[in-house]
Amino acid sequence: MEAYSAERPSGWRKWLLNRFVLVPAAILAVAAAWNLYASTHDDGLVIGQVLDAQGKPVEGADVTLWVFSFTTFAESRSVRTGADGSFRITGNPSHHIQLSAVKPGVGSSQRIPIRLFFRSQNTTLAAPLVLSGKA
Amino acid sequence: MMRRSPTWPIHLALMAVCFVMLVPFYWVLKTSVSGENIFTFPPSIIPRNPHLFYYVDVWYAIPFARYFLNSVIVSVITIAANVVFNAMAGYALTREFRGKGFILILFLSCMMVPFQATIIPAYLITGQLGLLNSYVGLALPQFSTIICIFVFKASFDAIPGSLIDAAKVDGLPEWRIVWTIMLPLAKSAMATNVILSFIWSWNNFLWPLIMTRTPEMQTLPLGLARFLSYQEDTTGALYAFCIMVLAPGILLFLLAQKEFIQGLTSGATKG
Repeated sequence: MEAYSAERPSGWRKWLLNRFVLVPAAILAVAAAWNLYASTHDDGLVIGQVLDAQGKPVEGADVTLWVFSFTTFAESRSVRTGADGSFRITGNPSHHIQLSAVKPGVGSSQRIPIRLFFRSQNTTLAAPLVLSGKA
Repeated sequence: MMRRSPTWPIHLALMAVCFVMLVPFYWVLKTSVSGENIFTFPPSIIPRNPHLFYYVDVWYAIPFARYFLNSVIVSVITIAANVVFNAMAGYALTREFRGKGFILILFLSCMMVPFQATIIPAYLITGQLGLLNSYVGLALPQFSTIICIFVFKASFDAIPGSLIDAAKVDGLPEWRIVWTIMLPLAKSAMATNVILSFIWSWNNFLWPLIMTRTPEMQTLPLGLARFLSYQEDTTGALYAFCIMVLAPGILLFLLAQKEFIQGLTSGATKG
């Protein structure tokens, strides 16, 4: 009898340790962890660098953030690159953006599409914006 | 000694059937992560450059969380009502009473009447009860389903009548017999009820379309229609939406498939 009762979960274990509780609990835990991560990484930072066709940093290039709005991309804000060609955009409100850069006399870049996993996700560009042609 | 026939032809046939049935699901899943149009030529079996951003698009294009919550609330109400009412009706049909045959025929004939034919009276009754644009009103027409009543009846029929007689001798009222004796012995029927009522409620489109008046009360199927009306090029996002709508139902089925199959086949070998 003892062996029988030892094998059978009883009381709270019976109600808690089964797949109908554990699976939803695991899903809720993952969702909570994801929300925690999102809430601590949603400052809207977009960091990157602008280079010219020869691969040298471009100072004073205008970098424009385009934000997806319903069906088209609308210009949201612009910043200017520093001496090392880097830029830092703050307050990106979207999860679906494009970036472009231009400097008169040096050239312009194509619009680079960037997809994010949640709105305002902080991101650093994997590849720099490259200016080519004369703007 | 009888020689057992090989089972591999059956397994081969089953695998072929599984393949045919699962290919559409795979295609939806593949398109949701690749966005490849169905007319893409040559078609690819393995998704090219898979990503999850179409799911993000869906999440932000419509108030998905709100629709999801509405669908969950309506489904929970529907499931609870189904288990309670269908169990009571199924228990009643296991007892002998005058007019039982007529009621069984009435139930069976009512199964042949499509919901579209009764939707106007259903709307008027719900309106008279003051339940339009409410969660209870959304669940009301599915509070009880005849198929699930018969699932409970078949399960209860398999329980020995002596058990009920003993409970009556002990002085248990009918509702306690259902609650404490019949239902614990009919877990598979309960699982079948839960899954079927969940799927029917989750996928219901017509009734929520007619009786909801504000976007805040809409459910996921209506959200899908709204999403389609918002965007034109929705190949990847549309399929991602379908996956997000399907996932809870598939998960519930996978969790309870053993009980579900038992519930559907209980009583099948009786006699």
